[in-house]
Amino acid sequence: MDAERNEAQATRGVEAGLPDSLRRELEGEIRRAVEAELTEELSQELRDRIVARLKAELAEEIQARIARVKAELEAEILARAAPVPAPVPAVREFERFSWNFRTQHMILLGSCLILIITGLPLKFHEARISQLFFDLVGGVQMSTLLHRIGAVGLIAVGAYHFFYLLAFRQGRRDFWELLPRPRDATDLFQMLRYFLGKTNDKPRFGRFSYVEKFDYWAVYWGMVIMIGSGLILWFLETSLQYLPKFAADIAREAHSDEGLLATLAIIIWHFYNVHLNPENFPMNWTMFTGKISEEEMRRHHPLEYEELMAARAVHPAVPRGVPARRAEDSSPMAQS
Amino acid sequence: MRGRSMAMETGRGVLFALGAALALLIMAGRAEALPKCLVCHGKPTLSKTLPSGRVISLFVDEKQLKLSVHAGRACTDCHGDITAIPHKGEIRRVSCVRCHYRGNPVGAPQTDIYVEYAKSVHGVAAASGNTKAPVCQDCHGNHNIHPPKDPTSQMHKAHIPETCGRCHLAVFSEFRESIHWQAFAGGKTDSAVCTDCHGEHTIRAHASPESSTYISRVPETCSRCHASVAVVGKYGIKTEQVATYGRSFHGIAIKYGGKTVANCASCHGVHDIRPSNDPKSAVHMDNIPKTCGKCHTGANVNYAKGKIHVDPTKKEAGLVYWVSLFFKYLTISVMVGLVAHISLDLFRRFRRRGSAD
Repeated sequence: MDAERNEAQATRGVEAGLPDSLRRELEGEIRRAVEAELTEELSQELRDRIVARLKAELAEEIQARIARVKAELEAEILARAAPVPAPVPAVREFERFSWNFRTQHMILLGSCLILIITGLPLKFHEARISQLFFDLVGGVQMSTLLHRIGAVGLIAVGAYHFFYLLAFRQGRRDFWELLPRPRDATDLFQMLRYFLGKTNDKPRFGRFSYVEKFDYWAVYWGMVIMIGSGLILWFLETSLQYLPKFAADIAREAHSDEGLLATLAIIIWHFYNVHLNPENFPMNWTMFTGKISEEEMRRHHPLEYEELMAARAVHPAVPRGVPARRAEDSSPMAQS
Repeated sequence: MRGRSMAMETGRGVLFALGAALALLIMAGRAEALPKCLVCHGKPTLSKTLPSGRVISLFVDEKQLKLSVHAGRACTDCHGDITAIPHKGEIRRVSCVRCHYRGNPVGAPQTDIYVEYAKSVHGVAAASGNTKAPVCQDCHGNHNIHPPKDPTSQMHKAHIPETCGRCHLAVFSEFRESIHWQAFAGGKTDSAVCTDCHGEHTIRAHASPESSTYISRVPETCSRCHASVAVVGKYGIKTEQVATYGRSFHGIAIKYGGKTVANCASCHGVHDIRPSNDPKSAVHMDNIPKTCGKCHTGANVNYAKGKIHVDPTKKEAGLVYWVSLFFKYLTISVMVGLVAHISLDLFRRFRRRGSAD
C-alpha cells in the first residue's frame, strides 16, 4: 500500500512539478520569508535553496523510477528468454527400430496370428477344439478364406521386407548386422558358460545378439517354406500343370510341419524372450515404440552403444541433453 | 394306479385268451379254407387285368405257401377284405401291419422296425400316392416269405440285388459289374450289397442329410467295412485308406462342412466300383486325369504321379516320408535346443537371486 501511494505521489510530483508535502513546505517557507520582509539577498538565497531542494528531489525520483523500470524489464527479458523448462528425461532413449520396421513387424504379427489360428485346426483336425473352431467360424470354407487373407498379409510383408533390405539404408545396414558371424558362436559359448556359472561376464552384443539373429533367420526360413508351399497348395490346379502330385504332397507336408515348428518357435522362444523373461515381463515394448533406454542399450547391446557414443564424440553435432536418434532411414534412396 | 394297472393286466390276459381261441378256430377252419380258395387260385392261368391294362397273375402256389413263414395262416388272415365267394367289392393290397407291430398277440416278430419304413424314401413315396413305390410285399415277397437268413428268401443277402433290381434296373446292371458283387458272387459273403450301404427300412434319398449315402456320410458308411481289419483285412484290402482319406484335405473339408469336396464315391465310383488294377476302374492309373478332372479343371497325367492315399509316416510314401522325417527331427532338435537355452537362463537367474540372499 505504502509503496503504491509513494509511487502515485512521485508520479504526480514529476508531472505536476512537486509532491504535496514538498509544495506545502516550500509554500510555508516562502510565506515566512515574505512575512519577514523579503530582501534582495534573502530572496536570492531562498531561490537557490528552492532550486537545490527541487533538483535533489527530482534526481531521487528519477533514479528510483529508472531502477524500477529496469527491474521490470529485466524480469520480462528473463521470463521470455529462459528456455521452456524441458522435461529432462529420467533415462536417455535411443531409437532402436524405425517406424517402417515396426510397421512390418505389426503386419507380420497380425498375419501370423490369423494363419496360426486358422491353420492349426487343419493339422489337428481330430481334436475337439478344432471342431469348436470350425463351428465358431462357420465351416471349412470360412476358415480357408481367413487363412488366405492372412497369407496375403504374410506375402505382402515378405515382399516388402525384401524391397526394404535393398532400398533402405537402414534395411541394408541391419541386414549386414544380422548376417551370422563366427562371433555368434563364441557369444553362445560364452553365454552357456555364464548360465552355468563358469563366468560372470555375459557376452557383449552388438546391434543384434545371436538370440535376435536366430529369431530373424527362423522367420526368414519359415517365410520361404510357408509362402512357397502355400502358393503351390493355394493354386493347386495350376501347380499340378507343371508338378507331379507327390510334389503337392511334399508341399502339404512341409507346410503343415513348418507351420507347427514356426508356431512352437514363436510360443516358446519368441514369447520367452520378449514377454516371459523376468527382465521383460510382461512385455518388451521396443518393437512397438521403437525406443530403447540407455540403460538397456548399455546392458544388452554394449558394442552398439559404444560405437554410437564414439561416433557422437567425433561429430558432436547433437547437443548434450537432447535425446539422441539413430541415423534416420525414413526416405529411400534419396539419402544414399 | 396300481389297481388300474392290475385291471389292465387282467384285460390283456383276457384279450390274449380271446386271441388264442380265435387262432385255434382259424387253424381248425384252415384245412377247409385253403382248398376252397385254391379251387380258383390254384390254377396257374388265373389272372386279372387292372384298369391300367397291366395283367397280374392271381395264381397261388400251394407248395410255396406251405414252405413260407406264413404256412400256418389262413388266406383271410391277410386278405381280410375277402368275405364271400365270388369276391365282392374292391380287393385291396394286403396290409402287413395287421399283425406286424410290437406287442402283437399272434406270434409275429416283436419288433417295430417297420415304423422306420414310413420315413424312408419308399414309404414317403408310397404315402404320397406313388403306386410304383414299394410296400412291404414288394421286397419281402407275398406267398413266398421266408426269414432273411433263409437262402430262398427274397431278402437273403444273395438275392437283395435282384430284389432291388426289379425296380432299380440300371443300377442293378451296373452293380453286377462291380467288385462288390464280383466278390460276393465269388463267395466273399462279407462283400457289400445294396442294403449294406443304403440301409433297409431306413433307406433315404442320397440328397437327404439323414441318408447313409449323403455326401458327408459316405466315408463313414464305407468305413464300416473298409476300416475294419476283421471285414476287409482277410481279403488283403488295406484298412488305412479310411485314415489317410480322413487326413487329406478332402477328408478334413468334408468333415467340417465342405459340400464340393470329394468323398470315397467321387473317385471310386458308386455302384460300379472296381479294383484300381481294372482298366475300367475310375481310379485306374490311366483314368486318374479324367476322374480328378471331374472337379479339378485341367487335370492331367501329373495327378497320377504319386500315391493318392498318402501316409507320410510310411516309407512307401517316398519323398513325402523323408520330408516328414526331416521336419520331425528338425522340430524336435530345435525345440530341445531352445528349451534348454531358456531353462539354463532361468537356472542362472534364480541361482543368482538365491546366492544374493
